[in-house]
Amino acid sequence: MKVKEMMTKEVTSVSPDTNAQEALDLLLEMQISGLPVTDEKNKLVGMFTEKEALSAILPSYVEKVGRFRYEENPKAVRQKVLALRNMKVKELMRCSVVTVDEDTTLCEVARIMLTQKVRRTPVLNKAKDVVGIVARGDVVKALFAEYK
Amino acid sequence: MLGWGAKILGLDLHQALSISIFSVSILGTLFFWDFRLSFAFLGTSILLITKTIDLDNLIKFSSLEIILFLIGMMVLIGLLKEAGLFAWLVSLILRIRNLSATKFLIAISIISALLACAVDEVTSIIFMVAAILEICDYFEVNPVPFIISSVLTTNIGSAGTVLGNPIGILIATKAGLSFEDFITRAFPLMLVCLGITIFILMIWYRRTLRELDQKIKELGANEILVRLISVPPERQLKICLGIFGVTLFFISLHHRLELFLGLETNTILLIAPLISAGLVMIWKWEKARDYIEKDVEWWTLLFFLLLFAQAGTLKYTGATDVLARKIVGITGSNPHFLTAAILWLSTIGSSILDNVVLVAAFIPIVQGFQALSVNMQPLWWALLFGGCLGGNITLVGSTANIVALGILEKEKKQRVSFFQWFWVGLTVGLITAGIVWVALVTLPIYR
Repeated sequence: MKVKEMMTKEVTSVSPDTNAQEALDLLLEMQISGLPVTDEKNKLVGMFTEKEALSAILPSYVEKVGRFRYEENPKAVRQKVLALRNMKVKELMRCSVVTVDEDTTLCEVARIMLTQKVRRTPVLNKAKDVVGIVARGDVVKALFAEYK
Repeated sequence: MLGWGAKILGLDLHQALSISIFSVSILGTLFFWDFRLSFAFLGTSILLITKTIDLDNLIKFSSLEIILFLIGMMVLIGLLKEAGLFAWLVSLILRIRNLSATKFLIAISIISALLACAVDEVTSIIFMVAAILEICDYFEVNPVPFIISSVLTTNIGSAGTVLGNPIGILIATKAGLSFEDFITRAFPLMLVCLGITIFILMIWYRRTLRELDQKIKELGANEILVRLISVPPERQLKICLGIFGVTLFFISLHHRLELFLGLETNTILLIAPLISAGLVMIWKWEKARDYIEKDVEWWTLLFFLLLFAQAGTLKYTGATDVLARKIVGITGSNPHFLTAAILWLSTIGSSILDNVVLVAAFIPIVQGFQALSVNMQPLWWALLFGGCLGGNITLVGSTANIVALGILEKEKKQRVSFFQWFWVGLTVGLITAGIVWVALVTLPIYR
């Protein structure tokens, strides 16, 4: 099975100039964890996910200082959450995005997701337009359905 | 240009080449910091291809024992971080009774300095900056003065022991100095510099301290702050503290143990962290690979390895002996002049260059003075303190400065300007270096 047979073809995306709060609201409304960011020519320029939102809110040093626990929500977090209203997606998005093409096999998509630690990958055609998106859950479902 | 300079100094081809390659590496680190490892790889390869040095001597000069020491310490620090030791230290700050701005400044300065004595300056500054940002966020005050204070005292503290800065272990092994030598000679002088620095900072930032006092009155202090961050005391934390304590114990007694066991100088100093790290990796066998792959800074260590090898080439070719003779020709073998020259050159140099690069370059020159019957003792201390204190003068003077300001810019979108740092850094740098100079030339303990 190729990824084009099981990918989600109706792709919701945001532009780099979309308001970050609006993009986050869209994620929550659609109950998905990430959206591709495309320019006016439908070329992929980044990914905006829950992880980017959390990275914007929490201090960057949390991963470097070892184990500790917040007993209260710091004031800075509240300020950063409010600051999202004045930020654009391009300020938060991840620019380096793992993608696959339409003819990638299911197993290869699974391998990429596992080794590159991604939960969703945009699918591009030969012209590098975004033509679909495939999530890890979809891959698992399709793989197990194929071999049942 | 370098060839012409080499001719004037009376250097031969290999000597000129070794200086050129090393100079290019230094300039590369100055202007292309991200590519420093590439410069180190290529420069070392050129030295081998041109037969400026051979493989056996290259490996000998690369000071693998120091690299292994640093690896052992990094594994232990990874263990400590995972156990939450640093969060525990920060929660100690938050528990200061009747917190005031002055107490806060003194506490972060002393903790920064002492932490930098025990672990590497980059690890200690990351945690101090994190603590300062969290606390200043709560009190809604500008964190910049406190971050600058913490960095200045971190750089000072890193001169106090062999552990604090890679240049400490580098000088200890090349000069045959022990941990005890550092504790009796470097640590007290570091404390004097620290005290003077805290006094300077209290005056320099008196307005910020008044603002913080006002905020502490408005917002209330410890009852809420103490709940902000916590690390529950656990058995694991106590065990990790014990492991680190035992390692420090053996490091502090290494000289006496080496004499007792008839071992080569600094053997136990260098292997104590390896033994502890080895035992830790047995205890935490499922995380052992993580400690090695994630907590050991391989990029930095490889750079050091090749930098030391290139610096060793300067000695191998005799280039630094020529330079040493030229310097003595100018200053005479008057120890006071030489001490001043080494101290102030390394202070000024360290304000621009990375201190490990600078000290690695100076060591063979200082070793060259030995052949000229110069008393080496004060020169080594001059190099240590110059390398550490000079890092305070500019905001690029030390890795701790760059790391701290990078975090500040990322979290607060605040940039410290060159002169915002320079005036306080220069004041602290010059005064502390001056104190060290007076101590080195007047006190018999340094002769």
